[in-house]
Amino acid sequence: METMSTVKSLDSNSAILSVCGIYKSFGQNQVLKGIDLDVGPGEILALIGGNGAGKSTLMKIIMRIYQQDSGEIYIGGKKLTGSRPIEALNQGVYLVPQEPMLFPNMTVEENILIGFNENPKELRKRLLNLLKQLSWELDLNRLAITLSIAEQQLVEILRGLLRNAKLLILDEPTSALTFDEVESLFTIINDLKSKNICIIYITHRLSEVFEIATHVAIMRDGIITLRGQVKDFTREMLVQGLLPPDTRKKELEFKSAAPDYENLKPVFSLKDYSGYGFSNITFDVYPGEILGLAGVVGAGRTELATTIFGRDRVLGGKAYLDGEDITGLPTSEIIKKGINYVPEDRLRHGIFRIGNVAANMTSGCLSRLGKFLMDFKSEKRITAQYIKDFYIKVTDQEQLISSLSGGNQQKVVVASKLATKPKLIILDEPTRGIDAAARGEIYAIINRLKEEGVAVLLISSDMEEIIELSDRAITMFQGRINHIFQKEDINQNNLMSAAFDVYQDEKKGE
Amino acid sequence: MMRAVKAAGSKLKLKWEYLLVLLLIVEIIIFGNLNPNFLKPRVLFGSVNDFISICIISVFSCFVFITGGIDLQAGSIVGLTSIIIGVLWKDFGFNIWAACLLAMLIGSLCGALSGFFIAYTGVQPMVVTLGGSFLFSGLAIAVSNLSNTPAYLGINGFPEAFTWFTKKRLFKVLPVQFIIFLILAAIAYIILHRTKYGRKVFLCGINQRSAEYSGINTKLIVMSTYIFSGMSASIAGIVMTSYLGTSKADFGSDLTMPIITAIVLGGTSTLGGKGSVTGTALAALVIGVLRFGLSMSGLSNQYMDIPVGIMLVVVVAASSISKNMKIKAFIRKHLNLPFKQSARQV
Amino acid sequence: MRFIKMMAKRREISSIIFLFVLYAIAGLVNSSFLKSENIMLTLNGATVYTICAIGMAFVIFTGEIDASIGGILGLSAAVSASMIRDGYPWTTAILTAVCIGLIIGSVNGFGVAVLKIPSIIMTIGINSIVRGLSYVYTGGAWVENVPSEFKQISQKGIAGLSWMYIATIVVMIAIQIFLTKTRQGRYFHAVGDNADGAVNIGLPVTATKFVSYLISAVCASLASVVFVSRIGFVTPTSGNGYEMIAIAACVIGGISLSGGVGNVIGATFGALIMSSISRILVFLGFSSNYDNTITGILLITIVVADAMVNKRKLESARRERLKARTSIVTENLAKGGEML
Repeated sequence: METMSTVKSLDSNSAILSVCGIYKSFGQNQVLKGIDLDVGPGEILALIGGNGAGKSTLMKIIMRIYQQDSGEIYIGGKKLTGSRPIEALNQGVYLVPQEPMLFPNMTVEENILIGFNENPKELRKRLLNLLKQLSWELDLNRLAITLSIAEQQLVEILRGLLRNAKLLILDEPTSALTFDEVESLFTIINDLKSKNICIIYITHRLSEVFEIATHVAIMRDGIITLRGQVKDFTREMLVQGLLPPDTRKKELEFKSAAPDYENLKPVFSLKDYSGYGFSNITFDVYPGEILGLAGVVGAGRTELATTIFGRDRVLGGKAYLDGEDITGLPTSEIIKKGINYVPEDRLRHGIFRIGNVAANMTSGCLSRLGKFLMDFKSEKRITAQYIKDFYIKVTDQEQLISSLSGGNQQKVVVASKLATKPKLIILDEPTRGIDAAARGEIYAIINRLKEEGVAVLLISSDMEEIIELSDRAITMFQGRINHIFQKEDINQNNLMSAAFDVYQDEKKGE
Repeated sequence: MMRAVKAAGSKLKLKWEYLLVLLLIVEIIIFGNLNPNFLKPRVLFGSVNDFISICIISVFSCFVFITGGIDLQAGSIVGLTSIIIGVLWKDFGFNIWAACLLAMLIGSLCGALSGFFIAYTGVQPMVVTLGGSFLFSGLAIAVSNLSNTPAYLGINGFPEAFTWFTKKRLFKVLPVQFIIFLILAAIAYIILHRTKYGRKVFLCGINQRSAEYSGINTKLIVMSTYIFSGMSASIAGIVMTSYLGTSKADFGSDLTMPIITAIVLGGTSTLGGKGSVTGTALAALVIGVLRFGLSMSGLSNQYMDIPVGIMLVVVVAASSISKNMKIKAFIRKHLNLPFKQSARQV
Repeated sequence: MRFIKMMAKRREISSIIFLFVLYAIAGLVNSSFLKSENIMLTLNGATVYTICAIGMAFVIFTGEIDASIGGILGLSAAVSASMIRDGYPWTTAILTAVCIGLIIGSVNGFGVAVLKIPSIIMTIGINSIVRGLSYVYTGGAWVENVPSEFKQISQKGIAGLSWMYIATIVVMIAIQIFLTKTRQGRYFHAVGDNADGAVNIGLPVTATKFVSYLISAVCASLASVVFVSRIGFVTPTSGNGYEMIAIAACVIGGISLSGGVGNVIGATFGALIMSSISRILVFLGFSSNYDNTITGILLITIVVADAMVNKRKLESARRERLKARTSIVTENLAKGGEML
């Protein structure tokens, strides 16, 4: 039930924002595959999409933080060119970013008012008026570094509201706000709407879509799959629009048996485990099982994984590996005990970008490569083994990892973490930004692990992936587990609903 | 086409060292022409004596740069080492070798101090080593005040056993100092390029976060690089004291710039993760021979900062330009160079 | 712990306190230290350091460093001194010095702001080139015989305080107002505080960094004029190491090398502390040889304490953020809203 409908409420000339045929790739990874979008004055367009759909990238292109590979953008009929944000700002566009980018050592007032060309006194008056209208409690003299993330978000929003923008883009503005703050924000947004300013509102919260937006568009995998007026949609229709089309069938080449839960003891257990970003997590992972962990960005899955891995402090609860208490151990110990973690951010935490394939491959298992002197022979052997087993496409072991495709890079990272022969491997978004062929190969690797009796905790925002691979699936929302699904219940609807926290037990079946 | 350039780029790593060797040969030829004495093996190898400190320190200090740090205090550790040896031996009656050992220990501790702060408190390497350079040169002066000999004279009269070996030449040609340098460079090479520790140093420098996710104790590794740097500065101090036969607190005070130049010229990136002992050693030789050759051609010492400085700026500018996409686009547009656009559309 | 936190917050205040304490101690040991002539002498003696530190502050605010002001000072001093000695009008000589600063500052600015060369390396390289040029210009000789009328300028003042120092302070106050109250003045701190954020909000980052290097170099040139007047002669090594002193002065005065923090008032007091240390040591009966040691200890202590406080701040900010995610649910439930 999805159509590439570009229902235009107005023709392009009177649209404030007109996006035509935008393509964008980062290296081998094509993020935007032809986006067409129009937003008219006084429209509030809610833009929904899963992680990696390309929403933030599109917004950054509009803001000239990135440049598109091809396609054009028009603001109020005028073409948007230039490679610096100032050009977009001058055309009346403003992006309130998802992650606040304030100046930590300046006051709130300075943060909001910097970069304006107007008379400072007038500006200050406008700001005070705005604050009164919003009745937000914000001390203008506090240093930005002392603000909570919610308060920082308020400041970013204020920057946007003060800017007299023609097009205001709000990227997940309410993710850290309280109920009251959200309500007052909506009042202002409605006020802007009446002034014919158009707003793009990116959110994960479907209820907000119905509360504030006039139009809605769904992005998936770099294209817009659904577009229209909010009054024409129901919640179910939106959820459907987020799912991939039924026509995209994938042959499950490997039907591996579910683990024998009756007779097995869990290899890894969490009991009431709490940390920064998650609380009271309890579940078990069995050897030879793939446990899927689903949810939207911000649900706390990565924080859970990194805390288990020893990267942050444990606030409560216990973690057990093979019966042994491993709560709070440092990373090197955790690896020695038998857990390893493939990081979510491949580029920043996974690869050694200017290193070669061999160095990356052995980065985690150096303890096995000799006492003091590097055992280069073993390094070559291990690297060659994994290159063969994982079908990693390289010219030779000396090749720099940066010149590999995303899929092959990921294979190297996965291999490097498996080289320590862990009992539990945590995979965090293992196929994000990877082409279909490599994805299949990584699935084969994961299945092989399963057959070898390794326990796999699979964190993924790709519902299909969870469905294909998982024996059981857990969903997290805002730091808590909200449902555990058995194999027969793992399907698109259930997972998507649970991830957006709208799952109700009546909704079963496809 | 960009792919081919990039592939060639990884081979370029070796090429950079060939370029340095070529540069060295070119220098020798040019200076040899200007002053035939230059080519006499005795003279040529003897030149090492003048810049041996730069060579010794830079091959170990490059460890620090590879982790993305910087060390501004090595020069002052040289002087501190020297004066400690002198004072311990002359005024406190220590055995000369014991004095050397103790001085080396202290030099390593100096490195450890800064390294500790950098690794465990996240302070910026530049400021802490800057403070260290003040502190250690100040301590050197304080130590020299402990001595009965006035500071400007320097402590002399070291035992033959201590001073003879740096003046000796193997086969009447190769100074022992050169051999010392080769041995130390070899040791540095083995440590950095052949041990697990060295591999960890590189990994920390390429991406400290990823290294932590691989279970590497990055803090310890970073701190250890400063210890090596301090230790090498001490060794340089010992060698200098032995060669010059005198012990002064201000030895090494002007070494910081040449050391950094040698390291950067040798192909070590200031951002970390890249570098080699061979490159650094060759670059140190290139700079040293340049200075020696210029002085033999009659150029006085102070002028020599210009060519060395220019070399540094040009190398670093070229490196920055080659990494900067916007500048490459600019050059492409305005100079019509045949750089093909990498395939973007699908 | 709270006291340390407060100190770290307004470090220029703690550096002022430190200065007063230092002077008080010196005065207690040797009361002639606190005689007004002596204090004036100390202040006048800090003029060159102060001007250098103020210029350096601009660069450090933007998150960069300038290791070349020692060479710029040396070259400008040599050129202006020789011009004055040879009878050129003083204004011409001073303008030439300023031009030298502008040229070198532009080179630095171009390399760092446009070509994105790491600033420490760029300025270290430029420093050695400029020092070499200075040697070329003077031929290795000292520049002496500066006419005494010119040297007198630094002696002229009011109640023992030289006009040069007073002028420096006045300009410093004007700069402080510029940096804190004007639109463009805020750019410097903004760029150092969050360079990406600055780009996103449309601030001219490249231009700001470029200008900061111009200012730093020109300050070094102006300082060289004061230098020539005060010292009266220029040697080939004049100015060596002044960049390190200026950096230390800034750091002691509460300016963070990562950028965005601190002000020129702190830099002024830092420069005062740097130049006072050796005088104070003499008055306390120690040889001035120990001033390096004291400077080093001071610098390291300040910078390490600052780093530790910062680290703690960032960590707790991050953790706050993560904690907020899970607590929003409970809060919203309590307010009667849906679990969205």
